[in-house]
Amino acid sequence: MSEPVISAKSLTKRFGAFTALNGIDLEVYKGEIHALLGDNGAGKSTLIKILSGVHQPTSGGLFVDGKPVLFQSPRDATNAGIGTVYQDLALNPLMSVTRNFFMGRELYTGVRPFGVLRMKEMDEITHAEMTKIGINVSDPAQAVGTMSGGQRQTLAIARAIYFGAKVLILDEPTSALGQKQQMEVLKTMMRVRAYGNIAIIFITHNEVHSKLVADRFTFLALGEVIGKGTKASLASEDIRHLMAGGVAMADLEHELAAI
Amino acid sequence: MSEVLTTAKTPALRTEASRLVQRGRLAKLIRSPEMGAFVVMMVVIIAIAIASKGNAFNPLGLKNNLSIIAQFGIIATGACLLMIAGEFDLSIGSMIGFAGMSMTLMLKWGLPFGLGPATPMSAFFITLIFTLAWGWLIGFIVVRSKLSSFIVTLSFLFFLRGLTEVCFRFINQSTQVSGLPNYKESDWFASMFGGESFHWFYNLWYTLGGNVNQLGNQWVTGFDARVVWWLVLSGIAYFVLMKTQVGSWIFATGDNRESARANGVPVDKVRISLFMLTAFCATIFAACQVFDTNTADAAKGNLKELEAIAIAVVGGTLMTGGFGSILGVMFGAITFGLVANAVFFIPAIDGSYYRVFVGVVLLVAVFLNESVRKRITGGI
Ligand SMILES: Nc1ncnc2c1ncn2[C@@H]1O[C@H](COP(=O)(O)OP(=O)(O)OP(=O)(O)O)[C@@H](O)[C@H]1O
Ligand SMILES: [Mg+2]
Repeated sequence: MSEPVISAKSLTKRFGAFTALNGIDLEVYKGEIHALLGDNGAGKSTLIKILSGVHQPTSGGLFVDGKPVLFQSPRDATNAGIGTVYQDLALNPLMSVTRNFFMGRELYTGVRPFGVLRMKEMDEITHAEMTKIGINVSDPAQAVGTMSGGQRQTLAIARAIYFGAKVLILDEPTSALGQKQQMEVLKTMMRVRAYGNIAIIFITHNEVHSKLVADRFTFLALGEVIGKGTKASLASEDIRHLMAGGVAMADLEHELAAI
Repeated sequence: MSEVLTTAKTPALRTEASRLVQRGRLAKLIRSPEMGAFVVMMVVIIAIAIASKGNAFNPLGLKNNLSIIAQFGIIATGACLLMIAGEFDLSIGSMIGFAGMSMTLMLKWGLPFGLGPATPMSAFFITLIFTLAWGWLIGFIVVRSKLSSFIVTLSFLFFLRGLTEVCFRFINQSTQVSGLPNYKESDWFASMFGGESFHWFYNLWYTLGGNVNQLGNQWVTGFDARVVWWLVLSGIAYFVLMKTQVGSWIFATGDNRESARANGVPVDKVRISLFMLTAFCATIFAACQVFDTNTADAAKGNLKELEAIAIAVVGGTLMTGGFGSILGVMFGAITFGLVANAVFFIPAIDGSYYRVFVGVVLLVAVFLNESVRKRITGGI
């Protein structure tokens, strides 16, 4: 087994007296989709916020390609190749697909910040990258606000990859979408997986989705890892059991019947 | 059953891309953000031409109209860029008063700290340093405090107006300065602001047989110099906004600031720079006024901030930021300038009509803009 692209060792995060994460170990490998599962409040978002530089850990270490790293800001994480795609953050609805794709990293000739935009070149790259990942934007000048939720998610993913992300973090990318668009995002994830050199961390509450695409699972409950393994090593029953925070389905059924 | 199958098949043949109908050039033009402003402008031009029996567009009428159009245009350009970035500046009018006070007091009483008499150039540049510093401070406070720019600049509206009056009284004993030498005759720098431009235009008009006064000589010799400032400022603003990197940043800052920041757009620098730009525009406005009339008083620029915002909105700029057009602002400035000046050409009306018009047009423009935004964002 090769070295993990990104890993966390005994990661702890406290918000004042509250321990959100307590000694988390996580290993993510390239070319794999790693599902991060757990109940509401388990600490999934807190964990990926540490991976993407938004929060700093209280203790424990982060390693990229085996080397210890310290992210002071999201910028540091981006520079280290960690691309985070949030559902709402990071797209500008009134601006064109191309301007969104290159936002903050525009191609220009001349002196920054008054350099003249190389619009034609950026349009071509945007079109090519979007097509590669499975969306044919007929007009790169189209405003992002007119795109569907799935297309926007895909745009954000294509952008992160084009600008060198080797770890892609997707926090509930399908939660606000309709059935068909959820599938679109899952397809996008599988295409990215097929590149072979990019790792994807996928947070979801949807058991079916996680089983459809994930190669490896990590389960969190109350800020601790309660189970992990590859798809092959985990039985379907285990996954359901662990997703519910370690409570057996049979118990839940009893509880429901008792009401 | 077979019917169900055929209907289920159709979606597979259609792709997302095929749902976006490619529009023709004309259709695109009609849907462009400045279209509303253009139509309003054409209606106003025709109405005023008829009501004034053509006098609004005779040589002198044209000069006077363009003079006020350029005034409006200069400050509205700055206000528009700032609004696209999602902020307001209510201090523009007071900044005009402050800049006029600063320049005329220096010209009359000499440079500060006993540095000797002022020239138009030194008075202008020292004033510009002051106003840019104010603009920077306003921007810095907005960015750091995270307060709405509406409130911060409202406080500067009062503060700068009061400061202007205090300075006038303290240094000059009176809240106005008049009787300065006619600098534009002798000083090239002053004539850049207060002098005339486009002589060739009126010369050509005279050569072609028009532009003749009652004595049979050439009537009007040129437009006010501020027309050049307006055109140059608008041209640069258009280019920067549409074609350069910083233009993309201005749109991004106003559209979704947090997303722009997350993508590495320096949103704070963009906003501070634009507050300095509106201060710059106010200073140009004041310099044109001072060197044209050789006077200043404490009330100069009153209400100009609201007119600048109104023109920007009529020109298609969204109140919520992220969207706007310099071309639209030029149309808006022409509209407002013509109507503000109409009292001089149409005997039956007075200044009240101008305000009635502004009120009505503003409301209509906001409705229009809202529909534009819905069309572009698909109703989000
Ligand atoms: N900034 C913060 N300050 C204090 N407590 C926090 C903060 N952020 C998160 N928490 C707490 O940490 C716990 C874990 O939150 P987190 O958002 O990581 O959960 P999650 O697993 O992403 O849940 P969900 O599935 O609902 O998104 C929660 O109890 C939350 O209230
Ligand atoms: Mg979460």
